[in-house]
Amino acid sequence: MTTTTNPDLASESAAPVRGQRWLVSLRALLRNPAHTAGLIIFILFLLIAIFGPMLAPYGVNEQIVEDARQAPSAAHWFGTDRLGRDVFSRVLLGARDIFSLAGLGTLVAVLVGTSLGLLSGYRGGLFDELLMRFFDSLLSLPALLLALLLLGTLGPSRQSVLLVIIVVYIPIVARVVRSVVLSVKTRGYIEAARVQGESSARILFREILPAVLPALAVEAALRFSYAIFLASSLGFLGVGVQPPSPDWGLMVKEARDNVSQTPWALWFPAGAISILVIAVNLLADGLKTLFRVED
Amino acid sequence: MTTHSIFGRALNTALPAILLLGLVLSACGGAAPAEGTLRVAFQPLVQTDPATISSDTEVFVANAVYDYLVDVDPDSNVVPRLATEWDINDDGLTYTFPLAEGVSFHDGSALTAEDVVWTFDRLRDPDNGYPTADLYANITGIEATGELEVTFTLDQTNPFFLYDLSDNHALVMSSDTEDPSDFNGTGPFVVESYSPEDRILLTANDDYFVDGQPQLATVEVIFFSDENAMVDALRGGQVDLVMRMSTPLFESLQGVDGITTYNIPTGGFDLVRLRADREPGNDPRVIQAMKLATDRAAILELVQQGYGAVGNDSPIGPIFDAYHDDGVQAPERDVEAARALLAEAGYEDGLDLTIHVPNSGGRPDLAAVLQDQWADAGINLEISVEPEEVYYGENGWLEVDLGITGWGARPYPQLYLDTMLVSGAVWNESHFSDEEFDALAALAGSTLDDQERIDAYSQIQQLLAERGPVIIPYHFPQFAAIRDGFTGFQLEAFAGRTDVHTIGTE
Repeated sequence: MTTTTNPDLASESAAPVRGQRWLVSLRALLRNPAHTAGLIIFILFLLIAIFGPMLAPYGVNEQIVEDARQAPSAAHWFGTDRLGRDVFSRVLLGARDIFSLAGLGTLVAVLVGTSLGLLSGYRGGLFDELLMRFFDSLLSLPALLLALLLLGTLGPSRQSVLLVIIVVYIPIVARVVRSVVLSVKTRGYIEAARVQGESSARILFREILPAVLPALAVEAALRFSYAIFLASSLGFLGVGVQPPSPDWGLMVKEARDNVSQTPWALWFPAGAISILVIAVNLLADGLKTLFRVED
Repeated sequence: MTTHSIFGRALNTALPAILLLGLVLSACGGAAPAEGTLRVAFQPLVQTDPATISSDTEVFVANAVYDYLVDVDPDSNVVPRLATEWDINDDGLTYTFPLAEGVSFHDGSALTAEDVVWTFDRLRDPDNGYPTADLYANITGIEATGELEVTFTLDQTNPFFLYDLSDNHALVMSSDTEDPSDFNGTGPFVVESYSPEDRILLTANDDYFVDGQPQLATVEVIFFSDENAMVDALRGGQVDLVMRMSTPLFESLQGVDGITTYNIPTGGFDLVRLRADREPGNDPRVIQAMKLATDRAAILELVQQGYGAVGNDSPIGPIFDAYHDDGVQAPERDVEAARALLAEAGYEDGLDLTIHVPNSGGRPDLAAVLQDQWADAGINLEISVEPEEVYYGENGWLEVDLGITGWGARPYPQLYLDTMLVSGAVWNESHFSDEEFDALAALAGSTLDDQERIDAYSQIQQLLAERGPVIIPYHFPQFAAIRDGFTGFQLEAFAGRTDVHTIGTE
């Protein structure tokens, strides 16, 4: 692999090699201010998720009796909630929760969904037919309804929410991947690979998968933003992550009962959800534009 | 179009005239006619058979439509209702109640002693499976000893028998009742119309046997499934009275023009209990350490926002004036002492436990606060918040080691002891078994000597503070808010038992 240390070289090169293409893409992405903002905010939230425990001035469940129900101040930037907990610390620490839930859920859903989509699209036949009809039946239910049905049987917990995200998003990812596979598999170079006697696995992962990647990247980003929504909605409905965890959706739910007293305990987690979702959507939008340009 | 507007105008002029006529007619009826409407916001009605009611709404409506034999006033005194007085014979086993004269059911039939006998026989028959069967198991016979006189015979003395007769379910029904949900009571209000999930409209019973009651012409109980909506409706003037609401909502009504708020302590409480019959709770030092690690003042401030009262780890709370012993206090918080006790008990490296919590009221908050407080003493809690139907379902709450349970207000403290703490009691969730406690509880529950009972309760509080399996950090408050313009509102600890027939308009 060629060196990628010199970005100028990469951008000026007429036919950039693999590693350098990422930098070109990044530049194209940064050309649009909205996409840039999305990227920056996303990275910021990611850093908060990673370093949150080091940044938070108070413990996640630390209660300061004399400061209970205080408005935002220098001591408590986002105020304190009904139990005297620092809202700023809880929002920071909740970032890890949402990333681990929505992020891990999306990751697993994308991995499994992609594999199934590749296999289904490439092999076709009865397997494809059965799998797709099964996924159709899952997709015919609204995501939230399906989630509530699942949680009703599993009982509310972190693991259940994770499982719900995975189950709800596998069919969607698989469908997207499959549709790309269907359009790619008739192309000449795939024919050629087959004629050369390459194994199915090799054709799937070396020839078809790269063609699927652009669509997959956009889909993964979109899924991630929906997963944040789903996890927060479930927390808000009280069937997801359980108290006293600093899940943003749950924080909104709990603060809702006290909204007349401590509205700030509602504003900040709700704001965090919106900002992260918007950022991820902008990012997905940027990726979409990027790949369209590349095509 | 024109016909419409003509009709509209005709109605507009006719309506006040009709209303005026109605007023004049009703004014001619008798002395001091009932007037005014009270609109009450409540959870929807589910049960309408008095034997199976339980929620505030159900009891509130039943208390307006039916009558109790005897009633309990807001100061916990037993007062006459259908019975004009009572006579207890010397051995304390026979109670005789003369009934008020001229009482009739809403269908017109007269009340007789047979109706009272029928009502209580129905409630106490174990075959009927009503929750009152246990409560009345001590009754050996109920007889109509006259057209308007009933006599109850007991197996053993029970100083609280009159309170038992005023149990929420003990509403006197007609012995001819075929459908127990037919609202055919003798009470101050008659059911005019009932639309399930919407509202129930009650109108004054003009033939009510108590002079001057009811004072209101109509009571409209409007159903809401959401507390926020109830309070919004109160603010907006769509309802006049809201009872039982969350602390933040109650706080939000303070100082609002035209609304008066009420806040009284109750006997109800949240209970943290550790199973006493197996590890780690079979070593009393563990629950002692938990008590020492608990900061009750902070809990009252955080979980209840300062409303209600601090508990002393016994269910005999401050509301039971005669029996609560102010001298018995739960220990002050002492984290070091808690650690030392834990170490003595063999947990020098700390103790990891899961606390099971129903997802209702302030219980998840209480768990979160305990998690924070107990961690200082090395007791590390994993919180398992469960929907109420899971927590109480299949008696799971009686099995878990560490749990938080809500106990509602009861009219007298013996009920808590007999169902919660006596060896083998039906809801002995902590599996507590202590001979001395059992003897004291049995004495308090049977003696007719008031001083002896007061002493026994005092010793029970002492005993529970020293080695009881429960932590009772606070007793709940009861809230209510009513719009100005009404008189005679007296909030009860169990909000549903608040009398509506004493409420009038200014």
